[in-house]
Amino acid sequence: MKIAVCVKQVPDSETRISLAAPAAKLDQTGFTRVLNPYDAFAVEEAVRIKEARGGEITAITVGPETVRETLKKDCLAVGCDKAIIINDPALAGADEAAVAEVLCAALRKETYDLVLFGIKAIDDDSGQVGIIVAEKLGLPHVSTVTKLELGDGKLTAHREIEGGKEIVDCPLPAVLTCQKGLNEPRLPSLPNIMKAGMKPMQVVTCADLGVTPPASLVEIRRYSPPPARGACRLVGGDDAAAAARELARVLNEEAKAI
Amino acid sequence: MPNIAVFIEQRDGAIKKVAWQMIAQARRLADAAGGEVWAVLLGGDAGAAAGPAGAHGAHKLFFAGDQLAAYDSERYGIALAAFCRAQKPDLVLVGATAMGRDLGPKAAAKLGCACISDAIALKFEGGAWEIRRPVYAGKCFVDVVPKTAPAIVGIRPNAFVAQECGGAAAPVIAFDAQQAQAAPKAVGREVVAAAAGRVELTEADIVVSGGRGIKGPEHYGLIEELAAALGAAAGASRAIVDAGWVDYSHQVGQTGKTVGPNLYIACGISGAIQHLAGMSSSKCIVAINKDPAAPIFKVADFGVVGDLFEVVPALTKAVREIRG
Repeated sequence: MKIAVCVKQVPDSETRISLAAPAAKLDQTGFTRVLNPYDAFAVEEAVRIKEARGGEITAITVGPETVRETLKKDCLAVGCDKAIIINDPALAGADEAAVAEVLCAALRKETYDLVLFGIKAIDDDSGQVGIIVAEKLGLPHVSTVTKLELGDGKLTAHREIEGGKEIVDCPLPAVLTCQKGLNEPRLPSLPNIMKAGMKPMQVVTCADLGVTPPASLVEIRRYSPPPARGACRLVGGDDAAAAARELARVLNEEAKAI
Repeated sequence: MPNIAVFIEQRDGAIKKVAWQMIAQARRLADAAGGEVWAVLLGGDAGAAAGPAGAHGAHKLFFAGDQLAAYDSERYGIALAAFCRAQKPDLVLVGATAMGRDLGPKAAAKLGCACISDAIALKFEGGAWEIRRPVYAGKCFVDVVPKTAPAIVGIRPNAFVAQECGGAAAPVIAFDAQQAQAAPKAVGREVVAAAAGRVELTEADIVVSGGRGIKGPEHYGLIEELAAALGAAAGASRAIVDAGWVDYSHQVGQTGKTVGPNLYIACGISGAIQHLAGMSSSKCIVAINKDPAAPIFKVADFGVVGDLFEVVPALTKAVREIRG
């Protein structure tokens, strides 16, 4: 089984964004960069499928070469076989449609049975690229997958919806976007990180893929800090019960929230 | 004309309230910009939807029902794209729900148009739409401008108020959703509901969340009882989800659900940056924590410094008394 996992490097979830005033760009200096946490579920699922059925896993990313360490440690060292970095200055600031277009160019170079994504990246929070790639490649997709059963030439996936789940049957090849709950990603071992350095990591440009750098369909005007919140008003009383009653009264009568 | 289409999400005929919130906001914008609001319903009951659609501000209700009773990415994608090609709306609003997050990019890819996820504000200025969305789970906002028409925009539930404007029932206009050419491959077999009566986190007016302060999975019931008394959804911090105390579907934060309810009550949650990111757009935040230095108090509007094992049950009781 040939599997592609499309991943992104993002600032980790502990990152603080200090933005005093609106700005055209986010200053990202000093951010710690990690594999997008949702992509780890996609990588883990691919590795489990390979362990059960054999096959080959290619990790693909769009981004600068600083992504190398992340690809090595969190993709190659846990079971991916090779990695492709699509690094092209023309892609700086590319939007979802443009990134999807470039990924499609890379995916078309091989025939994959399964293309896996995380449900979204925790920086842009947009959750579009996997679905756009599926449509552009003419493949079916299932998004927000929390359970996967592979059959012969087909799969059954559980997808999270409000208040429950939907069970979806889908033929292969297919595109899936992976949600937390799908699996528990393993950590790379030190020997495997060392060995991962031997695995092929290819850096390509748009020209190498035979694609013109696509124009973005969305223009970014500015980033701004969220509105500041007021001071916290502490509600107390003689004991916990009195404090709770006072809180309920305040929420009901003053905040009109209950 | 800056006409705005609004996708009306139905499942088994039940319409999500985000649809009415979007129509009401679209009407406010359309009135200012000189355009119309077009509700778009796929499957379900157009007759039943026409009344509330009109009351919230839709000028027309476009409907296609054939083979569209249940959601399917391919069928719905083709239908929405067909509608856009025929009617040429400027913007298409879809709820940032499980269905809308799936449909928006699908239809946008078919049309080759811009898609903007999870917006919380829209404005029309100088002939262009400027759309605000939180990124990094709300640690900052970004304002973007779509370079295509239409642009498909996901709207976060509860971002807008579903105010009625007293309009008459919207006239229903059938449209050709081009289903003859649709050949869906990924097909939903069944929908399995979680516990009956559970309020969905991302749509709830009130969320009550628990963190490490509950000390063990056996005490999550305290959170659920307060949530039940308030008609609220029950949430959780990443710490207790990763510890296996509650299911992931309850997680609020940067690697879980981002919520913006009217009231968010954090019980025994210290307030790690990645949790604050997921809930700090809530309109009113209450923190119950025994540590007065906990970061959660920095974003809270009201706080009780105390033992949640005493405060939370007492609050549940007080809420029951108030709400009868």
